[in-house]
Amino acid sequence: MADFTCLVVEDSPMMRQLIVFALGRIKDLHVTEADDGVDGLRKLASARYDIILTDINMPIMDGLKLIQRVRTDSNHKDTPIIVITTEGGSADRDRALRLGANAYITKPIQAPKVIATVKELLKIG
Amino acid sequence: MADERKPSRSDAPGPDLSQERDHVLRTFSKGAQLTREFAEEYEALQRRLQEAQAENGRLRAAIEADDAIRDLIKKIEALEAEKRDLLSRYRRVEELTSDFDARFHEMENDFANLANLFVASSSLHSSLSPRAVTRRLKEVLEQLVGAEQFGVYLATHDGRALSPIALSGLGADGPSAEALAAGPVGDVARSGVARIDDEGDPSLGTFEKPAAVFPLQIDDNVVGVVAIFRSFGQKTRFSTVDFELFKLVGQHAAAALMSSGLYAQAERKLPGPEAFGDVSR
Repeated sequence: MADFTCLVVEDSPMMRQLIVFALGRIKDLHVTEADDGVDGLRKLASARYDIILTDINMPIMDGLKLIQRVRTDSNHKDTPIIVITTEGGSADRDRALRLGANAYITKPIQAPKVIATVKELLKIG
Repeated sequence: MADERKPSRSDAPGPDLSQERDHVLRTFSKGAQLTREFAEEYEALQRRLQEAQAENGRLRAAIEADDAIRDLIKKIEALEAEKRDLLSRYRRVEELTSDFDARFHEMENDFANLANLFVASSSLHSSLSPRAVTRRLKEVLEQLVGAEQFGVYLATHDGRALSPIALSGLGADGPSAEALAAGPVGDVARSGVARIDDEGDPSLGTFEKPAAVFPLQIDDNVVGVVAIFRSFGQKTRFSTVDFELFKLVGQHAAAALMSSGLYAQAERKLPGPEAFGDVSR
């Protein structure tokens, strides 16, 4: 199986640690962490990622703005994006999906669900 | 000139000879008749023999075919038995696989739960700043438990009142100190026994009937209370790991908060080895 790269954009170190723990269960997936939307864009500009996981509520640049920017970036316009957030309302979900997110997971996260969603979007068994 | 001899008297058979000749002729004729009959009988027997041989051949072929069918039936029976055995083994393997899958999922869930507890614990203990510890405690409650409306209260020295050190999702119309002391939050502070609604939907909790209230304890001393009045809408039930988190937060957050408070009171001076001088005795 080819190696995959993943960018996790999350301002809470604790949540990042938990998401990285979960993603560690997927073989050959290499994870890079970013503190917020701006840090995420910086990392996206310097490398190519196969999948992006992002929070919505973050300082400096939130997840929704990040999605908008990623969808206009020629290198990542088709990269799958998973939103992981405490915002459980259907309006928030619809907005994120309309902007180009591929999946929407609410916190508290269930690691098996995160793993299954990443695998599904990367089309790996 | 032709010698026309008249039959002499001696040439003519005598009456006995004539009879004899007739007798021989009759016998011969009878013999010929018998021979013909034998010949016919022989031919008939030959035909019957051929028919019998043909019949015999047919019967042999039929018997051989019967044997082949018997062999085939035996083979089919053996194959059926083998198939039944294989199916039974396949079912056992399927059961084992299903068992294995279930255990694998269970282990994955356990691993995820342990990761939650580890992350919560390491997060609470990774700072000695009261502000950072409180922020991390809020993160644990919000992001790992899914608490939307909650408060963290410390007991005053005399233990009579609760003072909030962290509130989230509570507006100005939050419960007053008196209301807290008189309600389930006060009960938990006094008794040290957690009150968790493990049947209902925690997203429907209220101030009067909070989703979960548990004590912050160091050893047997209750130093405060965490009250989760309501969870996020997507969190409709507490899971096993939530109960573990309540226990963990109750103990670890209390220790982390008290350590950070003492550290702040000591003007951020870390204790030297003298502080641990008598622990080896």
